[in-house]
Amino acid sequence: MTAGNVVFLFVFVIAAGFFALNVQRLVSYLQLGYAEGRTDHPLVRLRNVFEIGIAQKKIFRDPIAGPMHAAIFWGFMVLTAGTVEILIAGVFPKFTFEMFLPKAIYTLYSASQDGFAVLVLGAVSFALYRRTVLHPKRLDGDDLEHTDALIILSMIGGLMITLLLSNGFLLAAFPDAIGPEKVFSHVLGSLFSSTMAPRTALARYHIFWWAHALLILSFLNYLPYSKHLHVITSLINVYFSNTSGPGVRGAMRPMDLEADVEAFGASDVEQLSWKNLLDGYSCTECGRCTAACPANITGKLLSPRKIVINTRQRLMEKAPVVTHDRMDFMRPALSHGVEDYSEATDEEVLGHRLLDTYITEEELWACTSCRACVTECPVSIDQLDIINQMRRNLVLTESRFPEELQPVFESLERNGSPWAFNAADRADWAEGLDIPTMAQMQERGEKPDILFWVGCMGSFDDRAKKITVAFARIMKACDINFAILGQEEACHGDPARRMGNEYLYQIMAKNAIETLDRYEVTTIVTHCPHCFHQMGNEFPQFGGNYEVIHHSTFIERLLQDERVPLKTAEGQKLTVAYHDSCYLGRYNDVYEAPRASMKRALPVITLVEAPRSKDRGLCCGAGGGRMFMEENTGKRINVERTEELLATGADAIAVACPFCMTMMSDGVKANGSEVPVYDISEVVASQLRAGQPA
Amino acid sequence: MKIAVCIKRTPDSESRFKIAASGAAIDETGLKFDMDDFAGYAVEAALQLNEKAGGGETVVYAVGPDNVQETLRKAMSMGADRAVQLKADSVPADGIAIAKALAAELKDGGFDLILFGKHAFDSSAGVVGTATAELLGIPCVTAASELTIENGTGRARRELEGAAEILTFPLPAAITIDEGVARPRYPSLKGIMAAKKKPLESKPAQLGPSRITVQKMELPPERPAGRIIGEGSAAVPELVKLLQNEAKVL
Amino acid sequence: MANILVFAETRNGEIRKIAFEAVTAARQLADATGGGEVHAVLAGASGIGAKASQLGTYGADVVLVSESADFAGYARESLAATVADRARTGGYRAVVIGFSAQGRDLAPRVAARIDAPLASDVTDISATADSITVKHPAYANKVIMTLVITGSPVVVSIRPSAFTATESAKTARTETLAASPAQGATVTVTEVKEGAKGRPDLGEAAIIVSGGRGLKAAENFKLVEDLADAFGNAAVGATRAVTDDGWRPHSDQIGQTGRQVSPQLYVALGISGAIQHLAGMRTSRTIVAINKDKEAPIFKVADYGIVGDVLEILPVLTAAIKGARQGH
Repeated sequence: MTAGNVVFLFVFVIAAGFFALNVQRLVSYLQLGYAEGRTDHPLVRLRNVFEIGIAQKKIFRDPIAGPMHAAIFWGFMVLTAGTVEILIAGVFPKFTFEMFLPKAIYTLYSASQDGFAVLVLGAVSFALYRRTVLHPKRLDGDDLEHTDALIILSMIGGLMITLLLSNGFLLAAFPDAIGPEKVFSHVLGSLFSSTMAPRTALARYHIFWWAHALLILSFLNYLPYSKHLHVITSLINVYFSNTSGPGVRGAMRPMDLEADVEAFGASDVEQLSWKNLLDGYSCTECGRCTAACPANITGKLLSPRKIVINTRQRLMEKAPVVTHDRMDFMRPALSHGVEDYSEATDEEVLGHRLLDTYITEEELWACTSCRACVTECPVSIDQLDIINQMRRNLVLTESRFPEELQPVFESLERNGSPWAFNAADRADWAEGLDIPTMAQMQERGEKPDILFWVGCMGSFDDRAKKITVAFARIMKACDINFAILGQEEACHGDPARRMGNEYLYQIMAKNAIETLDRYEVTTIVTHCPHCFHQMGNEFPQFGGNYEVIHHSTFIERLLQDERVPLKTAEGQKLTVAYHDSCYLGRYNDVYEAPRASMKRALPVITLVEAPRSKDRGLCCGAGGGRMFMEENTGKRINVERTEELLATGADAIAVACPFCMTMMSDGVKANGSEVPVYDISEVVASQLRAGQPA
Repeated sequence: MKIAVCIKRTPDSESRFKIAASGAAIDETGLKFDMDDFAGYAVEAALQLNEKAGGGETVVYAVGPDNVQETLRKAMSMGADRAVQLKADSVPADGIAIAKALAAELKDGGFDLILFGKHAFDSSAGVVGTATAELLGIPCVTAASELTIENGTGRARRELEGAAEILTFPLPAAITIDEGVARPRYPSLKGIMAAKKKPLESKPAQLGPSRITVQKMELPPERPAGRIIGEGSAAVPELVKLLQNEAKVL
Repeated sequence: MANILVFAETRNGEIRKIAFEAVTAARQLADATGGGEVHAVLAGASGIGAKASQLGTYGADVVLVSESADFAGYARESLAATVADRARTGGYRAVVIGFSAQGRDLAPRVAARIDAPLASDVTDISATADSITVKHPAYANKVIMTLVITGSPVVVSIRPSAFTATESAKTARTETLAASPAQGATVTVTEVKEGAKGRPDLGEAAIIVSGGRGLKAAENFKLVEDLADAFGNAAVGATRAVTDDGWRPHSDQIGQTGRQVSPQLYVALGISGAIQHLAGMRTSRTIVAINKDKEAPIFKVADYGIVGDVLEILPVLTAAIKGARQGH
């Protein structure tokens, strides 16, 4: 060990210690959040880490930034091994992995270090060019801090350059010091050896070795102060995330409403889960979520990225005060941007909240709960979970919500539907169709195979009633033994839940489950994706376990089994653009069934896709209770979406959701177009052979 | 301020009503009952007045059987401080009989303000509030559409046919509330939980004798089914005739 | 045989139509109970007595004229005291008051003062020897109650326009009635705002004319305004699509998320009848719809529908309504 090694050891211990201290602080801040278990189903979680993390599945959804990031990420994975070697060698100069690795593997490893350093350097250069010259739209907005990104990218570039240069100079001094597998280093080495003496080269080697080693330690210690903390937290975050499973995707958290608590829902970081806070550490502000957000796209205040950034900022503002962590150098860390409260007194800090101080009511109510943000996030952040918990606080604790929602809540309570329609009219659509109710069947001592859950739109909205009838006709044509609840059907409360009114939701959900259980219902079909999601995915939280099938899947199965009596295909060719429902698609992965149903029933049909389709589909604007709220800011989401669908040149727009039906129909009208909007069941029903029930 | 609000439990106004077998009552099966809309405005008005004054007490009163306790709880979940049930087997059809019970109860309550709904949806009579005020001998504004209290003096607006009165009055006073004064807040879950712990007192109502009995209830004749009377402007004369002679709205 | 006391409502020195209706109702009641007298209290500022004969025309036998500077406006407490004192001492079988803005306030005061039962907002009165039976639309007119009132006197307030003022040639005697003073603290009228300027509020208007996207452009709302003017004092509403497009202010929006209205007449112009709009106007008494799509849901709730181009029909309808009202 030389004096240099001792100095390095000293520097290393200080750097590592400082890093460990920061890690400990960041972990202690997380403990402000409420506890929740996230260690179930370790295999599913590991699969997520491999697919989403290591394999960069979501990163690649962006065809330009995707490969660029993957190159840097994989480079980092590979080069971390080399970094360990370099750091150990800094103390024990004789150390090399060659000491215990088989020759072939070591050679491969050694070559990878050289190759990936060049790859990363290339990717980082492109990243810098992209950020400083190309200015992609999603990297703007939300008062983003750009210096941080430039520092990080420069550091990474610096690491690669110093690594390659130190190798090159070493080779210029001792041509045999490194094996020939490090091709790029050898190129540099021969370049240097022709221009300088070995002594000079050796001196430069030492300079660049130290520069590289110090840069590694600086980089490590800079991370806790940077949005690039995601380098450390992302894989951990993906492991603990539930957005791609385990568990039911998109199901909202059940709440204990009997809990003796001061406040329901979240208005500040302590009322969020530690996992929501970890999301804050994991966000590198790439903006994929915001770029996909229908509210943001159409000019609303909401940016899902800002929600996550604000959560982190608030944590960084508040945690040092409440944990009595007096090392104020931590405070500005990760709290750059939107608001600067670094000068605030403790009292002021405690007077702030995540809600209002950082995140406004308007942002929270702009969300359509379409799940586009969650689907896009490469590190499995759950933006929607934070929004939902904050909406709960607004409604359950503070009774603050857009005034249009009060009649909706009251109507749900009084009439069992979000609209002020009389519950007695619920089954009016079925008049003359000879469809039995569960009660009638029970009276006759019969039990249907299937319950047709009509939903409030399907029961009361004139346009949606036509969907109801079309689907009922298909089932009758296929001799399905089904019944409806008739006047006993009442909303399951999903709109209330999405709008933050968990109390009303739980009352309604429990009532619905009680009704279903009274009739011993096992299988349910519905043409409303919201009913489908709620009853299939969220009812189990309250002991309601049913097989719930969306009509698109149900019809597709009937068609597949050739049970639907169809006319022979005829008529003119029809081009149809199908609009994906969020609660069918992103919530439940049903993308093909609606498309396939139409193709099977009407082989002459040509399906065209809008640029945003399937899991990238743009919401119609009705979800998350937005159906019941005014849309006064920016462009209307349904207009944006309809324009896109009309631009495909389709003769008709198809939907598989009564809410999408309303929004798309309105959008078509607003565009001054006459293009018809059909539900997929209407497309299929139009092909039923004559002699079938009308 | 110390404010009393007298509220009533009535069926949802959107309901489709049926007449009970007795022929003298509505069939209550399947009906949703809640605080009457106008009572809701009154509770909200009281809460806002006290919030603006920065303190005070809001006490809610209801006459009726034990199911009115649910309505009283709702008022407390909105923010009323305590509630009193004036227990009676049923609510008499004679508003004066109810006014007597309320006046007897409120007489020594020391209230600055007593609020009522303009009328209740079910009886649609609008008797109790103004009559209670008369029995108590305090100033009363019937059907106020605006209400403010400043320095112990009240100011109210009241809609007349094609005009409006602006009124002032000293406290204590009684006001019956028309819509427009305040839209009732939606109780938060926090409020609902808090209401469970607030005091609800129950005592017998000292009703006056009821001199009005319901002999019969019936549904009004059905509206004729809607129809399309024609196409284009050629159908206009027919429409005007129908509006004049059948609908009688011209 | 029993006498009936009537409160003859005045405003600005004029007897109001409801007063004649009340006298008519009292006349019928007196005749049905053996032909007693109808005594009408006519209170007002000095000079109101000159109008007493008008009440006779409708069947008043005696007009009790109470002139007082206080009675220039609606002096509720002293008026209530005056009527109540007379009712208490006059041996009347019933007191009839109109269920107008004034009467809604006055009737409960009088009833409380004389400890008499009060039946409000009645549309029909009949009597037997020991009881008076009335019909009263309750539950927002969804249920008609028949009420039997015992005791004497009773107070009855009648729904405006439910009794048609009918002439019944009588020459009323005039008596002077001393005004009873108000006791204790009172309400003070500081201002009476006459005749609301512009259009009535959507919540109060008896007639609402409402436009949807079928009107095609913001400027076509002029035609809707014209129709509202033709109706006299109709309010103008709009659908959410229209207010979202900025053709009309958001305060005009009728629907689940806007105002919920139930006027006597609702005219839907170029409105297809989306669920959210229907939720705000379904309870209107009479609904007229004009729309080019005969399948539009609005026709399901409309009493009268016309299929056709609203822009073509509107001017014709406006002219026809104007004509009809002038002939009225």
